Amino acid sequence: MTGLKLVEGYMPIQMLGEMGLQALLFIFIFYLLDKKMGIKVNKLLQATLLFVYSILYFRYRIYPPIPFSVRAIYATMTLIGIFMWVSSTEEAWQDFRRPIIAVADATTGAAKMIRTVVIILLPFLVGFMGYNSMKPNVDEPIELRTVHPAPPASTKVHGKTFVLQTAQSPFRVDNDGKYSDKVQNTYIDGNPWDEKAPPYLQYVREGGQIFFQNCHWCHGDNLNGRGMFAFAFNPIPANFTDPGTIAQLQETFVFWRVAKGGLNLPREGFPWASVMPPWEQHLTTDEIWKVILFEYWHTGYYPRTWD
Amino acid sequence: MAIITKQARKKIWAFLALGMFSGLLLLPLFLSLPTGASGADPVPAASAKAADAKSVEKSRDVWYKTEGPVVGAPAPKTTDGPKDYPRYNFESRVLLWVGLQQHLYYGSFVLAVPIFCMVVEYLGIISKDKALSRKYDQLAYDFVKISLTAYSLTALLGGIVIFTFLTLYPTFFTYLSGIFRPVMATYALLFIAESGTLYIYYYGWDKMREGFLKWVHVSMSVMLNVIGTVLMMLANSWIAFMQSPAGVDADGRYLGNIWHVIHTTLWNPINVHRLLGNMAFGGGVVAAYAAYRFLTSKTDEERAHYDWMGYVAMFIGVCFLIPLPFAGYWLMREVYAYRQQMGITLMGGLLAWLFIIQAVMIGALFLTTNYYLWQGMERMRGAERYQKYIKYMVFVLIACFIVWLTPHTIVMTPAELKAMGGQQHPVLGNYGVMSAKNGAINTIITTTVLSFIMYQRGNKIPTVKWAPLGNSFLFGFFTMAYINIIWLAIYGYYIPANVRVGLSVPQVASTLSCLFIGVTLNALMLKGAKDTGPIAWGQISVRSQYALIMLATSFTWMMGLMGYIRSSVRLFWHVNEIMRDNSPWAFTHTIGFGANMISFNVLFFWMTILFVFWLGSLGAKKAPVTAPSGQKVPIPASSH
Repeated sequence: MTGLKLVEGYMPIQMLGEMGLQALLFIFIFYLLDKKMGIKVNKLLQATLLFVYSILYFRYRIYPPIPFSVRAIYATMTLIGIFMWVSSTEEAWQDFRRPIIAVADATTGAAKMIRTVVIILLPFLVGFMGYNSMKPNVDEPIELRTVHPAPPASTKVHGKTFVLQTAQSPFRVDNDGKYSDKVQNTYIDGNPWDEKAPPYLQYVREGGQIFFQNCHWCHGDNLNGRGMFAFAFNPIPANFTDPGTIAQLQETFVFWRVAKGGLNLPREGFPWASVMPPWEQHLTTDEIWKVILFEYWHTGYYPRTWD
Repeated sequence: MAIITKQARKKIWAFLALGMFSGLLLLPLFLSLPTGASGADPVPAASAKAADAKSVEKSRDVWYKTEGPVVGAPAPKTTDGPKDYPRYNFESRVLLWVGLQQHLYYGSFVLAVPIFCMVVEYLGIISKDKALSRKYDQLAYDFVKISLTAYSLTALLGGIVIFTFLTLYPTFFTYLSGIFRPVMATYALLFIAESGTLYIYYYGWDKMREGFLKWVHVSMSVMLNVIGTVLMMLANSWIAFMQSPAGVDADGRYLGNIWHVIHTTLWNPINVHRLLGNMAFGGGVVAAYAAYRFLTSKTDEERAHYDWMGYVAMFIGVCFLIPLPFAGYWLMREVYAYRQQMGITLMGGLLAWLFIIQAVMIGALFLTTNYYLWQGMERMRGAERYQKYIKYMVFVLIACFIVWLTPHTIVMTPAELKAMGGQQHPVLGNYGVMSAKNGAINTIITTTVLSFIMYQRGNKIPTVKWAPLGNSFLFGFFTMAYINIIWLAIYGYYIPANVRVGLSVPQVASTLSCLFIGVTLNALMLKGAKDTGPIAWGQISVRSQYALIMLATSFTWMMGLMGYIRSSVRLFWHVNEIMRDNSPWAFTHTIGFGANMISFNVLFFWMTILFVFWLGSLGAKKAPVTAPSGQKVPIPASSH
């Protein structure tokens, strides 16, 4: 499976595409076996094969590895899908049930043997599951980390109160100096080092300078959370290029998080697994706004707005 | 002098009765018009002007930002003690939770069932087939009979809730009722109007069985539903005010404009969401009732009847389930727009895991609906030709469900976190955000519509001349819809959030177009279609009936869950940012506790509703139920 590469930027679609192709292949193989070669594979066997294959796919194909909780969701969904498929028609359902009923009834010698083995093994299986769930676990416990804890209604930075619902970046401005949520789009391909660059791009440049002086050590040159110190932390710093971080948030949320850092996360932010310094102790308010401006411009994401 | 015939006399009485009902309906509105909620004594005009200048303090509305005279007391600052929070040796909040949830379940049921009755009775009137018409009429009557007992229980539970509220949260209740005094009075009056209409509607059924009077009767059901809906909207205004207050100043002082207090920013989204939700829930409950009766049926005739009843109820319920996610989306959008922190607490923060559970339930509802329709095709001769497509549809549904369920915040051990190299997974992280979710749910709904179209034409072959053209159009239309939905879901990653939110509009438009145009076109194509055989009612698998029961349980559980989420998001506020909750229970329960409470409420509801059904069956006449036979299959006019 390692021969096929997941192409960066297209991975989510690629995964769905692969799933679709595999499903088609699966259908095609059993169609060939049945219609062209006369080998009718029982639905129970087909279902079992499909389920095992899907488990292996989600376990080994996707990299980085998918956490167990998500794989469990996927496996459950696959199982439900398989059940819907095998029981969608009475004919398929009877075909699926046949081996199970045969074993339960034990009308043949082989079936009787399987039933005996199952009856003997079943208590052991239950016992094993019980043992597994009861045995002391030395792993670190699972923590339901809230990545984006709800912000306060307002925050005080350098003596000034900012209402998070209404505050605006003073540097997200058009050429007339007025706040504009379109300006980033206008200059998304602009050159901040151009001497004649508009004010917005100049602020972006200044923000970039601040970023590379203070932030890139952890958040990385590409803003992807893989700076040179990143892997000293667990979890590693936020990846701004991921659509689930700054792209989901209002600019004021990011302002609050940067200003207050990991130390001042609210109670909801348990287990407070962030070592980001409260940047208000090191940067001015303007510098914080500018660095955020740069982060949005560089990643190409836009802060969330509501009108 | 002209002789007034008996028929004409009946008409006059009918008009008079209708006029009286209309008057009764409008009366509370008139009553509430003259004064606001000031409660102040009338002031003589001359002295009023002078007093205005001196004593009338003005303040600013927290939401509308308008100036208004302060006419109410500020929100009380409560303290933890017997004065503000008298209590038993039990968590007061939990007591109120159970009472309110049960009241809501029954309230939803009795609001939804009359809408069903209205639709089914109307179908009976317009049906040209006499036998079918009688069957519809009987079904509507059965519905309202069940709802009558449930209605009493609703009122009873409402009383219990009021007393619980008054005795456990007296200060808060006094504050709220001080502001909503005219609304509460109107509510009580409307309740009387609702009861009167319902009783006349039920007991007048036989008297108004034929001709013009039947139309009067069905008009009364319209009126019943109008009153019911207004009642629900008034009750919604209280909870909407608690979540997004308006009409008061920052201290919680009422500013004299009752419309501002009612019409808060979340009121209408909640109204729409609840109305649709009630209908879907009502459909689910009736379908589960029919499924239960099907499974316990002793004869083929009974099985046929309850199979049909389950189908009709499921059909009506699903009609309202389909637009429900869009209404929910609108509500959440308004919540975000109202307070960012509230939106994040709901969907990205403290309550995000409950939203994952909600996603599971929504997915389960649509999967179950599809499954039921596929099972239903088994009882139609000729539907086999569509069964080969089921496996592809299962794949599409499950693939979308996988995207729909992938959480934004993944549960993982620290070791897994390290292996993943960060909080966000580079592949799955993309499924965790709204753009992907919108694409997934729209695809799921469009596929459900496709299943329904297949079901519609299960035992029919179109014979109209333009059938090939119609089929090509349907194929092209659905293909374009899928492409549009998926393409916009991908495109959503490359544009600003506010534009992305707007993308949901064309996505939803694609889905709804498939629903309305697809189903209508299909129905037109099936006019005079060749029958490949009648629907063999009653010959459906038992699995389908379990699916109906699951559908109903999912509805109930989801209602409990979403109500809990909506209420919890206020965190430690009785009235958001206006009146603080200083009781010892101003904390958010753990997910496990919340889930157990919801399950308890669901179990309790189902136990009591079974009792209601049993009561309903006690009075039932042992009327022979005839099996639908031949070509005249009793199904909603819109479906075949």
